[in-house]
Amino acid sequence: MIELLRRVAGEDPGRAAIVTHEHTIGYAELLACAERAAREIRGQGVTRFAVVDHEAAPVVALLAAAAATGAQVCLYPPAEPAEIAELLQRFDHGLVVTPRDDIHAPRRVRPEEWLDGDLDPVEDPAHPTARPHMVLTTGTTGAPRGVLHDWTRLLRSTGRIAPEPGHRWLLAYGLHQFAGLQILLHVFASGATLVAPAPRRPREGLRAIRELGVTHASATPTFWRFLLAEMRADGGPVPRLQQITLGGEAIPGPLLEDLRRTFPDARISQVYAASEFGSTGSMRDGRSGLSAEVLDAADDADVAMKIVDGELWVRSRTGMLGYYGEPPIEPDAWRPTGDLVELQGDRILFLGRSSEIINVGGVKVHPLLIEERVAAVDGVDVARVYGRANPMTGQIVALEVVPAPGADTAAIESAIRSACADLPSAARPRNIRFVETVDLAGSKIVRRSR
Amino acid sequence: MASNSAEQVVRDFVARVKPEAPALELDTPLYADGVGLDSLEAAELSATLEDELGSDPFTSDEMPQTLRDILAFYAEVAVEA
Repeated sequence: MIELLRRVAGEDPGRAAIVTHEHTIGYAELLACAERAAREIRGQGVTRFAVVDHEAAPVVALLAAAAATGAQVCLYPPAEPAEIAELLQRFDHGLVVTPRDDIHAPRRVRPEEWLDGDLDPVEDPAHPTARPHMVLTTGTTGAPRGVLHDWTRLLRSTGRIAPEPGHRWLLAYGLHQFAGLQILLHVFASGATLVAPAPRRPREGLRAIRELGVTHASATPTFWRFLLAEMRADGGPVPRLQQITLGGEAIPGPLLEDLRRTFPDARISQVYAASEFGSTGSMRDGRSGLSAEVLDAADDADVAMKIVDGELWVRSRTGMLGYYGEPPIEPDAWRPTGDLVELQGDRILFLGRSSEIINVGGVKVHPLLIEERVAAVDGVDVARVYGRANPMTGQIVALEVVPAPGADTAAIESAIRSACADLPSAARPRNIRFVETVDLAGSKIVRRSR
Repeated sequence: MASNSAEQVVRDFVARVKPEAPALELDTPLYADGVGLDSLEAAELSATLEDELGSDPFTSDEMPQTLRDILAFYAEVAVEA
């Protein structure tokens, strides 16, 4: 991480690294913060620490400092103090770097204690052999787990990223998310600029896109759906994005079409990645799913995929080393992804997470296919399909709908029933509720049954 | 009060799901030769009643067979309350 900052700072020290509505910080300044923090970390013999901070600049500097020193850093979500306390205990963190006074830990350091001050001559010792990093899972299906990575493995794929100093990437993910880390790596590997609004919600994202010159944006399909809804509701100008990237969830075909219509000048690509196996690259053909060609990767490829009993498996040389507190894994071995897929012609189509399958009287129903249909109904901004417990059939398909402002919900409900009328009986939504928003975790729809 | 609401919920549901069904009497069988609800439609009715009225007669030991059974369930709930 720090090597990326050093390279750009050496070439163009004043280039903007991170932009918010309040501040702009250049590469050289950001690097100086990171070098100071690295000196503190080395000097104090710190080997691992947690960070709770939503500001991008200090977080990036701390990540880079950790990568330079071999200390393991873990970014926490912006949670309530009780949840932070649980995480500190679960992951044995005695040291937390945070500007928040409501967080209690055996040792707390304010970011400026490490980042600010007069710059000493830059120390540049060789990188330590092991450069550990830990990313927390979102914990949608249980307690969060600590996914162990190594910076050298994480950075392996950045060598292929071309310099793009004029690009301005929107940060639409939490920095504590693996997808947020991927954006950081891409931006700093290409010498681009990160635009980091706070909080990282669609409304603030849209404002940042419009006002801070964003040219490229990567977000979940759910984020894009809400952003489109925000844009239609406020009637403001459509920004001229050059690049739209989607990832983190299966991508519905109608959403791709909607984005293409709304942003005709933008190139649209999809990434398939996860905290455990890292990024597998991007698809730029604008179609749902993955090209079946990914199944033909060479034995020495960084990433390879195969389908086993309807589930996608990945072997990644940039992926994790294991989970915190659990026995290490064989890092380059094949691993199941939990994503159920179907091979249709030249395409691998995503059916949903194995944990999201709805069991209706013994019939397995995939929520994504239903969501896709419902989301295409006029007046539906966002749809969420999940399994609802039922005494007759175990579960039924339940649906939550966020309607467009001013839409006639009775007419929408009727249109949804018509749109789903030809689905198998078990897959038709049996319970439809209109809601203001749906459960999200890390800008992804939560579909776990209840 | 609950029974009246329950009756309306059931009648509205049947009118939407089985518009071709014969007139719904208190003792018309809800399944098979009566209204003709299949298991998934019965599951849907169960969820609808729970949402509208806060409890679900299909969770009781004996599955309701008629509108009268459903109304009896809610009458009992009202007494217990």
